[in-house]
Amino acid sequence: MTMALTAGVMAYAGGFRVSLQGVKQLAMAHTSAHAEDASVAFFNPAGISFIPSKLSVVAGGFGVSNQITFQNTSTLQQTETDNPLGTPIYAAVAYKVLDKLSVGFSFSTPFGSTIEWPTGWEGAEMVERLELKSYFFQPMLSVKLAPWASFGASYIYAKGKVDWTKRVTQLGGSLNLLDDEATGHGFGFGFYFQPDSQWDVSVAYRSPVDMKAENGKATFNVSQALFPNIGLAATGGVDTFKATLPLVDEITLGATYKVTPKWLLSADFNYHGWERYNKLTLDFANAPVGNQVSDPTVLVAPKNFKNAKTFRLGSQYMINDMIAARAGWYYDESPYSDENFIPETPSFDNYVVTAGVGLKFNKLGVDLSGAYAMPQSRKVSNAYNSFYGQAKATVFYFGLGLSYNAF
Amino acid sequence: MSCKTDFDNDTQDVVVTSGDANFSKYIALGNSLTSGYRDGALYSSGQNESYPSMLAAQMKLAGGGEFTQPMMPNDVGGFVGIPGFGGRYNLQLVDKKDYTGAVVSKSLSPVQAGAAATLDMIGGAGKYFNNMGVPGAKSFHLITPGYGSADNLSVGAANPYFVRFATSAGTTVLTDALAQTPTFFSLWIGANDVLSYSTNGGTNSTTVGNVTTYTTAKDQTGNTNPATYRSNDISDPAVVAGAIKAVLDGLKSKGATKGVIANLPYVTSIPYFTTVPYNPVPLAAASATQLNARFGQLNDLLASVGQAKRFTTLTSSSNNPVLIIDTSLLDISASLPATLKMYGQARHATAEDLILLPASGIIGIDPSTGLPPSPTSQMINGVTIPLADQLTLTKTEAAKVKTATDAYNLQIANLATAYGLAFVNANAKMTELNSTSGIQWDGVKYTSKFVTGGTFSLDGVHPLGRGYAIIANEFLKAINSKYRSTLPMVNPNSYTGVKFP
Repeated sequence: MTMALTAGVMAYAGGFRVSLQGVKQLAMAHTSAHAEDASVAFFNPAGISFIPSKLSVVAGGFGVSNQITFQNTSTLQQTETDNPLGTPIYAAVAYKVLDKLSVGFSFSTPFGSTIEWPTGWEGAEMVERLELKSYFFQPMLSVKLAPWASFGASYIYAKGKVDWTKRVTQLGGSLNLLDDEATGHGFGFGFYFQPDSQWDVSVAYRSPVDMKAENGKATFNVSQALFPNIGLAATGGVDTFKATLPLVDEITLGATYKVTPKWLLSADFNYHGWERYNKLTLDFANAPVGNQVSDPTVLVAPKNFKNAKTFRLGSQYMINDMIAARAGWYYDESPYSDENFIPETPSFDNYVVTAGVGLKFNKLGVDLSGAYAMPQSRKVSNAYNSFYGQAKATVFYFGLGLSYNAF
Repeated sequence: MSCKTDFDNDTQDVVVTSGDANFSKYIALGNSLTSGYRDGALYSSGQNESYPSMLAAQMKLAGGGEFTQPMMPNDVGGFVGIPGFGGRYNLQLVDKKDYTGAVVSKSLSPVQAGAAATLDMIGGAGKYFNNMGVPGAKSFHLITPGYGSADNLSVGAANPYFVRFATSAGTTVLTDALAQTPTFFSLWIGANDVLSYSTNGGTNSTTVGNVTTYTTAKDQTGNTNPATYRSNDISDPAVVAGAIKAVLDGLKSKGATKGVIANLPYVTSIPYFTTVPYNPVPLAAASATQLNARFGQLNDLLASVGQAKRFTTLTSSSNNPVLIIDTSLLDISASLPATLKMYGQARHATAEDLILLPASGIIGIDPSTGLPPSPTSQMINGVTIPLADQLTLTKTEAAKVKTATDAYNLQIANLATAYGLAFVNANAKMTELNSTSGIQWDGVKYTSKFVTGGTFSLDGVHPLGRGYAIIANEFLKAINSKYRSTLPMVNPNSYTGVKFP
């Protein structure tokens, strides 16, 4: 018995990268060249050298509300997701050990999503529910090469979780793929420049992290009578699987220019290496539910993601010493074409407007931000899955962040 | 910055239109395929997934009226007391035994339920149904008076499925359809004119007491009097065309000039004929040698009476051909010694012979025990004992079926053109479904493979709800294209498939 298992993971923006790692940054279109506190650590390890205090601690969290609508233009059927509120979080600390040497640590959840389609919806064979989580733990080091330049590098240890339920229509049941012990490794490095009092320039690279699920659990919720047919008589319909999901690399070029001492402008360019996610391979231990002639337990689903760009523009105006007003705009490209649209990681070309305020109470900073996304509705013409129609989405974010520049 | 976040054309705002057609009174004419028959029976949940009921649901979005079906009184089907009308097949875990009778494993197999109720009479004067599909009906049955007469049941001239909803004993299917003054119709008929021949391996049968005898069924091409046909004969293409034309003329006389007509699939795209391979016999070296001695002797005897070889050299492998009866062969049993008499019209099957689905439970069984053969058994169905004629559609029989199907389809296509009807090429769709790649819908792949393909029901001939939905979409496309209507498609995945125990 064969089934067309297909695969993936989601998308508040491009692919399943969730660009929400700084509340202050989000208010300014999530631009990177801001070294006021430790929140720069995720964006560029070199940035921690320019934090204007010896010890800085930050933490923050977001709420992500999104809903995807798919419409089948031949049946006129419409389906909406019932996604739970996404809650990306982050925390970072940076400390100047020496004048020229800073150390830092960043915790973040840069990739992930939970998408929930109605049970038995028309695309249920591809996905009913997919929860994807990642946790990045990044210790880092930054060295001042000159009073105006620094170099920093980080090691990335990632942990992840995938929990994916899909229908197996031909077997009259469903399949759950679960692994909460996937791990991966990577690194990041960057240069940060403050050539004069007006400019901040940030150049950073974060490597891909291949999340490896070595011992995932595949549970077939089908009639027991079928267990022998799928090679799972002895295990009661439970199998193990291996898979690798690439969390792709990212190049970020950012700059901030202080037009006046109170007013700054920021711009960023990101380049995401989504091409790495050109296919997903699920290797089951026993169940012959794959599509490979040489090994029927191996299922390879084409993903055909392509590299994608993001352009960001942000601004901040200090209304007084205590209050900063912020705004931004960015454009985020979908990493795949209409022909490769997949409902497990719906993705759209996305225009986003952002805004926020920052409040400073001496050493403590409180930041609030919100963003409204305008994902572009798109055609869906995925021939691999015979999945045709149109998709649209509504998305908004809000965040609350704290920073404490101790001394 | 350009922003287009909403759909160009929201499907919730789409107005479905009937175009040039009027769907207010839709009548479906046909056979089992039209009635919603599947799993070897007509039963209520199957009827709810008939393709006409799917069409009617879409038509309702564009002025279509209520659509009634002659619902069976239960979800099992069959008629108690009428032989040959059992209940539906269900997949069950069935014991697999070895030659000692010990259970060695269990396997999923279709098991037929008994009939659930006696024939219920839901018709009578003034009782009409939109779905007039009659399981088992041939083309000419639609215009045969008395086909719905209870009195005719015992002589085989009536069909219980029509008897139960006919308006009177003397009426015809067409008459009851016309009385409803259809504004739109679908007509898919003619399959049984060749299918009953095929599913019975080119035989007719007579049962007296408990003994059933099989005789070779006829290809009646050239005989235009269907009253002289036996039940499994192949109908004359002129009879089929004449019957369909009579139906179309009748409808036209009532002003029903708009409708959709479908042609017929090849039997070779139906799992009943394609599931059992011609060469399923595994043999060990010793058995192959022993059998080759016997069949070599037979080949020599054949040569001595001027006949070509009928037996191939068997090998120590898992894919030896099955032994079959081919009634087109000269019967040489008179020239054979007593122990070999049963090979008078026997031969080994070739890739061009179709082994019918019921043979799967018979091949490799020792008929004296009804179990797999013991190590010393000399009696093995399909190996030492030829498969009976009714279990195979031989190359010559299959050729007759193909010729007749092509002839019917040519007539159906011509009539569709002549009467200006929407035309469904069901033959092409079924062929596509029978390909390795099959048909895919929202990630679910459908093929004609028995059980696993997800399209066909457990009788191997009739589709499941999902298969009927694939067919319904072909009807909808044909109707939309002919009458400029905008009926939406149905989603096959949302209907029922094979039920596992």
